[in-house]
Amino acid sequence: MLTSLDALLFAVAVLVLGKGLTRRSSLWLAGQKEIRKGSLSVLAGYLLTSGKILKRPLQGSAHVLVFWGVVLPALVVLASQFHPRLPETLSKLLSLFLDLLGLAMLCALVFMVARRWKKREEAGPKRTAIPALTLLGILFTGFLAEGARLSILGPGFSWQSPVGSVFSAVLPPSPLLMQLMIRLHFFAVLFLIASLPFTFLRHLVAGSLNVYYKRQKPPGQLRNLSLHGGVPGAKRVSDFSWKQLLDAEACVSCGRCEENCPASIAEKPLSPRKVIQSIRGQMEASLSLLEHSVSNDEIWSCTMCMACVEHCPVLVEPLDKIVDMRRYRVMGEGALPSEAKAVIRNLQLYKDVYGRGIAHRTDWAFHREVPLLLEEREILLWVGCSGAFHPRYQETARAMVKILKASGVHFGVLGKEELCCGDPARRLGEESLFVETAEENIRRIKRHGFEKIVALCPHCFNTLKNEYPPLGGSFPVVHATEYVADLIRSNKIALKYSLPAKMAVHDPCYLGRGNGVYTPLREIGKAIPGVTLLELARNREKAFCCGGGGGSMWLHEKLGKRMNFIRAEEVVRSGAEIIGTACPYCLTMLEDGIKNLEAGKAPKVMDLVEIVASSIR
Amino acid sequence: MKIIVCIKQLYHVYARTGLNPSEQFLEPEDKVSMVNPFDEVALEMGLRVRESLGQGEVSLLTLGPIIAESEVRRCLAMGANRLVQIEADHGMDPWRKSFFLARAIKEIGAALILCGKESLDRQSGQVGAYVAHRLGLPFVSAVVSVTVNPETGALEAERRAGRGVREVIVCSLPAVLSVDMGLEVRLPRFEDKQRALSAPVEKRVYSEDGDPARTLVRRIFPPRPRAKKVFTPDSRVEAFERIQQLLGGSRVEKMGTMLTGSVETQVDGIVSFLKEHGFGEIGKE
Repeated sequence: MLTSLDALLFAVAVLVLGKGLTRRSSLWLAGQKEIRKGSLSVLAGYLLTSGKILKRPLQGSAHVLVFWGVVLPALVVLASQFHPRLPETLSKLLSLFLDLLGLAMLCALVFMVARRWKKREEAGPKRTAIPALTLLGILFTGFLAEGARLSILGPGFSWQSPVGSVFSAVLPPSPLLMQLMIRLHFFAVLFLIASLPFTFLRHLVAGSLNVYYKRQKPPGQLRNLSLHGGVPGAKRVSDFSWKQLLDAEACVSCGRCEENCPASIAEKPLSPRKVIQSIRGQMEASLSLLEHSVSNDEIWSCTMCMACVEHCPVLVEPLDKIVDMRRYRVMGEGALPSEAKAVIRNLQLYKDVYGRGIAHRTDWAFHREVPLLLEEREILLWVGCSGAFHPRYQETARAMVKILKASGVHFGVLGKEELCCGDPARRLGEESLFVETAEENIRRIKRHGFEKIVALCPHCFNTLKNEYPPLGGSFPVVHATEYVADLIRSNKIALKYSLPAKMAVHDPCYLGRGNGVYTPLREIGKAIPGVTLLELARNREKAFCCGGGGGSMWLHEKLGKRMNFIRAEEVVRSGAEIIGTACPYCLTMLEDGIKNLEAGKAPKVMDLVEIVASSIR
Repeated sequence: MKIIVCIKQLYHVYARTGLNPSEQFLEPEDKVSMVNPFDEVALEMGLRVRESLGQGEVSLLTLGPIIAESEVRRCLAMGANRLVQIEADHGMDPWRKSFFLARAIKEIGAALILCGKESLDRQSGQVGAYVAHRLGLPFVSAVVSVTVNPETGALEAERRAGRGVREVIVCSLPAVLSVDMGLEVRLPRFEDKQRALSAPVEKRVYSEDGDPARTLVRRIFPPRPRAKKVFTPDSRVEAFERIQQLLGGSRVEKMGTMLTGSVETQVDGIVSFLKEHGFGEIGKE
């Protein structure tokens, strides 16, 4: 039935599509070099299962219906051009299936349009209107054409196309109407194809590409910066790598990042969606300075909790863009918030974030038998700055020593040889200081023999595990909770004393979202006799950040609400008596938040390591 | 305008974890080498003066061996134009130091000489004043902010006069200022840090010995902690109380009088207390 004119029109539409796509791709291909390996299996798996889109069931399934409602009929129509011979029942079943799929897609589309209409967000309706209306037009003309065809064939209900039958009941048996509808249907399809690169529907291509080039590494690992030549970080859009710009291209501004971003929830000026959209806007416009569109308040509101990365349905990562912008503002302009300058100075001079100095690094173990790692041992206990200096977290460090001793494992600490892992410097944008500290640490660690490193702090853990390997320091690293859970599982420590209390677990971002460590925390909770384990309203990958990560521990929280107050309210609401966490920052922030609430029965904040230690006594 | 900032490199001793009394209980990691923080603030002030004038040259001047190279280079990266090192032995008294510094300043030539109010290690606070004396220039100490008027060739400096009092002093250029804490020291940009790594160090050697030292340091020692009287706690009170007494000193010693009642009676109480202790003359002025 395809006339030569149709073929020509189709060719023109495809040509416009191709031209548009190459023009769009030239935008993001202008980024810096970055080596990424694509994976077809990841893409295929993502497309077939709809990946993270279904994390929100209602909107997700609407999206799935529209997606398959476009893809399957298109495939059938394409295949039908080759006139395949199908058994009659099969073709009838196919017809029934497509008919029902069309109906489902119609419902889904109406739902989506209604949703957009109701929300009226600045970024949303304008750009979704044209593709959505085109899709609706395609559906309606399709059904009308089918109805007209059925009414020509004769009245009556045909089971293989129920929706078409309904339409046929009201349509006259006019071949002209049928032809008209088929034409309209065809033109709408052509319009959709041709307009694809120019509407938000380009996420079909850019999103798929973004999934294809998915990062192979854990989300907690930041991009290494070339410190020789070039701009440190991102001054202009062109300083981003092509993959980072592809991220911006793939963003459909759905707002899931914003709904999960603790800074957005706490009414701070940051919205990951806005950041990505600003980058996209700058990419399309001239390549002017980034600071004109993304303000300092925005980039310093980020706690690098990775919620945006976790929840993006097309795997966009706003986090690394914010880090790159921080890097430029700190290293390129020296514009670090003044309260954080002290941390950087302390790290430079004293090699720790508290400015206490190497000489005091072993004070936490004063008058306690904590072995130094002098000969080959099984475990290197990485204490971290908080464990060594923070008065509250020193208790956790001692508790960890108690557990390790009770388990009979041979362990040691680096003592005065240990330096700050460099995480605060890196997240604050001082990449050169991070590299300096990290390389020194790697040299020092390499001098010793051990089987694995047990890190007490999730930030150290993430840095040692994910960020040292590119600098030449690949060590087997586990977090303390993982190791303690292991000890409990293998019965190396006996939990004797019960703790009759309701306990909830607060997932630290750098354990959970950063490295996927969720279960050991709960295993520990369950293993302690007497404990009833609760879950907070936002848990696991949805866990709400305490507000201390990404260097925010050393920044003033001047804008919006305080994140730790929000989380503390949630903790109190859950009815937990003890809140178990596994991170020095979370511990401090939550304790502060809970004290601030002045609740009658304030929950006690404890590190899970402490809880285990109190149970083995 | 030419500005010279004198920077002192020092070992900041922040702990004594060693066991050897002859080494003053020092371990290698108990100290960090750094540039005197007051001098860093002085540099910041010099840079701000240069920026406000829109032109000028800031030279760093350091005396003795380079013991904190990375920190000195960091000062260069903050924006100083050059670094001059006077080669001399370690351990001079302020008077001799000022001889070398004044000599170099005369050679380089400057309208404004800045230095820290005091150093973190010795805290004598003399060098700046001696340098001004030797150069015959006006000297303002403990300056927290400064504005230079290029037309009149005068500067207006705000200084800390102690007890929260600030003085604004006008003086002619050239002048020597010693700078107190206050300005926020800038973070060097990465690019400048890289450039500073390879910046040359201009060395100056002065053959003559200068003035002999006027002060002599006999001995440096950490003072022994003051002896604390430990008394026998009253055996009649319970253990907790006894431990408290031992930890907090005797109750009687530390006991003050808590004044209660209205404001007037409290004031009366204070006045009668002062009279009792021989401060009776205060109220009569």
